[in-house]
Amino acid sequence: MTRDDRVDAAAENAAAGDGPTASVPGTAHATDGGVTDPSAGGATEEVIDPTANEPDLDRGIIEAWAAKMITNPERAYRATFYVATVFFLVTTLFPFYWLFVVAVTPRNNLSDVGVFIPAGFNPGAFVEIFTTLPFHRYVFNSFLIATVATVAVLLVGSLAGYVFGRLDFRGRSPLLLLVLVTSFFPPAAFFIPLNRLFNTNVDVLRPLLSAGSLYNTPYAIFIPLSAIFLPLSIFILMTFYSQIPDGLEDASRVEGTTRLGALFRVIVPLSAPGVATAGVLTFISVYNEYFFSSLMTDGRPQNWAPMLEGILRFQGEFEVLYNLMAAASIVAVLPVAILVVVAQEKIVSGLTTGAVKE
Amino acid sequence: MSTDTRADGGGGSLLARPLNWLETQSEEVYAYVLLAPAFLLLAVVAFYPLIETFRFSLLADAVASADPFGEFIGLDHYIALLTGDTNFTQQFISVSLSSSFPFVDFGAPFLQQAIFVTLAFAIISVFFETLIGFGQALVLDQDFYGRRWVRVAIIIPWAIPIVIQGMIFFLIFNPTIGFGAEFMQWLGVFGSNPLSSSSDSFLIVLVADIWKTTAFMALLILAGLQSIDRGLYDVAKVSGASPWQRFKYITLPLVAPALLVAMLFRTMDAMRIYGLIDSTAGCETVPSLTCLVIIALQESRRWATASAVAFLTAVVISGFVVVYLLALRNSSGGVA
Repeated sequence: MTRDDRVDAAAENAAAGDGPTASVPGTAHATDGGVTDPSAGGATEEVIDPTANEPDLDRGIIEAWAAKMITNPERAYRATFYVATVFFLVTTLFPFYWLFVVAVTPRNNLSDVGVFIPAGFNPGAFVEIFTTLPFHRYVFNSFLIATVATVAVLLVGSLAGYVFGRLDFRGRSPLLLLVLVTSFFPPAAFFIPLNRLFNTNVDVLRPLLSAGSLYNTPYAIFIPLSAIFLPLSIFILMTFYSQIPDGLEDASRVEGTTRLGALFRVIVPLSAPGVATAGVLTFISVYNEYFFSSLMTDGRPQNWAPMLEGILRFQGEFEVLYNLMAAASIVAVLPVAILVVVAQEKIVSGLTTGAVKE
Repeated sequence: MSTDTRADGGGGSLLARPLNWLETQSEEVYAYVLLAPAFLLLAVVAFYPLIETFRFSLLADAVASADPFGEFIGLDHYIALLTGDTNFTQQFISVSLSSSFPFVDFGAPFLQQAIFVTLAFAIISVFFETLIGFGQALVLDQDFYGRRWVRVAIIIPWAIPIVIQGMIFFLIFNPTIGFGAEFMQWLGVFGSNPLSSSSDSFLIVLVADIWKTTAFMALLILAGLQSIDRGLYDVAKVSGASPWQRFKYITLPLVAPALLVAMLFRTMDAMRIYGLIDSTAGCETVPSLTCLVIIALQESRRWATASAVAFLTAVVISGFVVVYLLALRNSSGGVA
């Protein structure tokens, strides 16, 4: 409530002609009912009543609090701020807590699970997820795919980021625009031909892959995902590489490294924070991806199905395994949660530079 | 990484030759060579499939034969999609004009038409994410004890896998164990099984998306907030501007470009929604554009129709991007 608002409100009251009288019942009520009447119905009226500024009135807690807010607006902002912070914390973190509540509730009591307290305690669910299904294999598949994709994106993205960030050549802007445009298209627009391509049997691949096609191999997931998350990395790396002074690169060239040597021995190490940022974001994005991950394998762990298939198995194949679904979700969320805690600065800077550049 | 070490060691003569060749080329050639891997990857995964998708969409469906594509039929799939004549329960769009109020006829229920589901979802979710994200950004912009941990807590939903986000909301709104379903039924908003009703599921998906991606909005807006010169606020304070006026006349205009960029990203992302729906309510209940592609592909094996839907999806999203880019150009001239 600002000074302006209060004055306006007071003026309104005065215009209505009952400003002073309206406040009387509230005050009287508070004095009658003792100091701590929480239902002080007059509180809101008191807030807009100018007389509330007078300190010697006998008030209820809420009224006194309201009066303080008015005399000292900074306090009101502070209070709003704390309320907002607590609200955001509760809304973002509570679902995780509840997931834990469901996970430790024994299966027979699941229909009694409360909002805050589990109905019973059975941490065995965290073991059971690995025995009913090879869930560790699913998580391992996801990890491997995400790691390989991250390495590939960093390597290819470094070359492209270096070119866009440090070299001047004809066609720079159109090519950069092309990269940007790619990141706008929905993956569904790429899926059908890719699916056909990956299902084609290529005889050359037969010695390497059992079926001779890429379907049901980690390549079918990591190739499309590398390409889809490549543009963001290019933009991040471009920004970081362009900030390295030219002199350092020239010096290393004079010392006798090749052009590529200068890139990987001088530019990349000096931009380590940028590389880490791009790496963390790519890893999280690939680990979290749903569309290609769910469609490029048949869902069996030995066929490189990623973590999401494992979690969905608990939903579909068996009857009602809510506690296992919750436990599996907690296990699968841990790696990214740890990554966020460790690398939050990188994530923040990566998202913002990526977006501002694009 | 290994290329440079081996070449410098003089060992790999196989690599030394191309590297030497690279040394002698002009900067322009060098630039194109280094860009080649990136564009090769993009060409295989994006450019070529996009063109192929369009080509497939002009062919007939061959549901029974080994090759799912039949003869060339031109734009028939697009006409069928845009007039609501496809053989799915879920339509791309199915609207006709009528003579009486409200002058439009919905062939299929509103929430069974992919384009409306997707547009409604994108607009509503981005609207709320912007509002709440602004709130979070204003909180994170303050200096206080424990700010780092509050920021971690706010980012975590953004960083979790989509399938887990889906799982959380699937459980919360599950009629047997979820407190969310009970609460909403008590309010009288939800029916007995919210995850199989289109309107209830639409709300669930909306809430789940807002919960997860508001953090992204908050971070981008926060970056915009922190780039504002603090001196401006001091000047405003001295001139007697109220906090609301400071917000309205300084914060909002200066943060607008960052805000628009963030909204652009979120809108594009929201229009691709698939995983969240697939892991909670299922694609038949809340058919988004991408869902429709998968329905056509997996349930009826109509590959050509699916291609047409996919290409139309890309067209719709490009339309949105163009609108945003124009808005960006008008608002700041130079960010995009």
